[in-house]
Amino acid sequence: MKLSYAILSALCLAAASGVHAREPLPALAFDISEVAPGNYVHYGSFDERSPDNLGDNANIGFIVGEKCVLAVDTGGSLPVGLALREAIRRITVLPVCYVVLTHVHPDHFFGASAFLEDHPQFIAHQNYPAQLAARSRSYLNALKRDLGEAATGSDIVRPTLLVAGQLELDLGARKVLVQAWPPAHTDNDLTVLDESTRTLWLSDLLFVGHTPVIDGTITGFLAVMNDLRALAVEHFVPGHGRSDLAWPLPLDAQRRYFSVILNETRAAIRNRKTIQQATDEVGMSEADKWVAFDLFHRRNVTAAYAELEWE
Amino acid sequence: MGEFRVSLRQASIAVLVLLAAMPALANEKAEPNPALSQYWEPIKQLMFGDRIINPDARDVIRVYLNVRADDASTVPVVVKAQMDQTEKEYIKSIYVIVERNPSPAAGVFHFTPQSGRAQVETRLRFEDYSFVRAVAEMNDGRLYMAQRWVKAAGGCSAPNGKKLSESLLGKMKLRFDDDAISYHKPNLVQLMIRHPNESPLAADFEAGQVPQFVRSVKVTFDGKPVMDAQVDFSISDNPNFRFFFTPEEKGELKIEVEDTHDRKFSHSVNISEGVPLPGG
Repeated sequence: MKLSYAILSALCLAAASGVHAREPLPALAFDISEVAPGNYVHYGSFDERSPDNLGDNANIGFIVGEKCVLAVDTGGSLPVGLALREAIRRITVLPVCYVVLTHVHPDHFFGASAFLEDHPQFIAHQNYPAQLAARSRSYLNALKRDLGEAATGSDIVRPTLLVAGQLELDLGARKVLVQAWPPAHTDNDLTVLDESTRTLWLSDLLFVGHTPVIDGTITGFLAVMNDLRALAVEHFVPGHGRSDLAWPLPLDAQRRYFSVILNETRAAIRNRKTIQQATDEVGMSEADKWVAFDLFHRRNVTAAYAELEWE
Repeated sequence: MGEFRVSLRQASIAVLVLLAAMPALANEKAEPNPALSQYWEPIKQLMFGDRIINPDARDVIRVYLNVRADDASTVPVVVKAQMDQTEKEYIKSIYVIVERNPSPAAGVFHFTPQSGRAQVETRLRFEDYSFVRAVAEMNDGRLYMAQRWVKAAGGCSAPNGKKLSESLLGKMKLRFDDDAISYHKPNLVQLMIRHPNESPLAADFEAGQVPQFVRSVKVTFDGKPVMDAQVDFSISDNPNFRFFFTPEEKGELKIEVEDTHDRKFSHSVNISEGVPLPGG
């Protein structure tokens, strides 16, 4: 308990100094960047979740209107969620009226309980509740295993507003479009588009530099990427990795990665390779192009194989 | 078969209760000593009683899988006999056990001397980091056990991806490893079954509701047993099995599958040497 609070206050201090003084930050800093006017991002670490990073592994952030604030994801633990909340407080006194839970992955949602006292609408995809019910127990166990005591207070928060299709929100002189997608990264992916700056928050529909992950369907993911590519986008925020490349370069890199897996897995199935052989062989030309390839690539091939073998 | 079903279900429930009573024990990340596992002893008692299990299985059976599982809901595992099946000495059954799953007995696979090779390959779900144990039961009753530690978690409660339409349920596909069948030698076959293989942990299961999962798979060639398996929801959705069979002449390879809702599915193909095979 003491440990987690000690680290937490370090996080909050870092957030404070990061925003006000813009000084070099310590390793555990909770840094935020304004990627477009009113759009603030905190970039999560590529490292595996650990007591050192407290599950600060996904990009999270917020959009500030003239009336209120919308948070996009809350990070992988209560301390990260609290640091985000503190970062918002340093920017504005406006209330947090919406928290978007972009999809049911623990690196994105376990900080949500930090916002309970603000009584925002917690917005999620219509498929989110079923997946949350199915996964929360094992996600909580794994969080305790990885963070130990620091996992305390990282509770499951249920959405209060579900989206099918599109939902337009008004933050006060700033319209934001929340869009629910068909199965891709997961079966409950949301994106958030700030219409005034054309800033698209893609969450895990886009990985930049970090190996993309399939927990939905590879064919669906490729189809959704085609639709995303057609959007008029000025700025973008991926779920992992930086926002500084020119759109749509990183989307195309991800599309290339999935196309390689799709084509090579289909060929492996045609050539009667087993799922294990496929995971050993498919996509190796991509190995040096992505961070954490060893951790996630084989899983992607496994999922692709189990999907494509029935074609 | 009916009796077995009841006892399997009771065993599953007993272990479920057992594990529910000891939560949060499974938090270590490093590989524990397989001989000291607190999970194994009650499972062993339930499945094998006081029978002696030889822990040195090197020359009998081996388990192959990746220590770091890529997808906890689909972990490929291969259990391979290290000896030939002969009339005199053969592996009668292979038990595949995921010891920290709520229902640890993933499958029991029965073989005969005609199976060619006692080998089974399937895909497992993992609820937590766990040992996978493979116990070989010889025709004279001796037991041997091999195991592997696997880092994977969340597979049992990871829900089924896509909803399966009723018309696909029980649909099967057979794929063969070679272009054509050869007589008098073991041929590798892959059986794919369209089935959600529901885990009762996967959705908001109401108490008393019976999850639908495949509970038995029977493979025969011209009426003679090739492989017979009792399986559980520790097997991934769309259950998938690879095994050998040794045809001596042309005949019908037949698959019969039953699930926990008493539905029966069957599929068969006619095999003859040198003729191109379906699948692939």
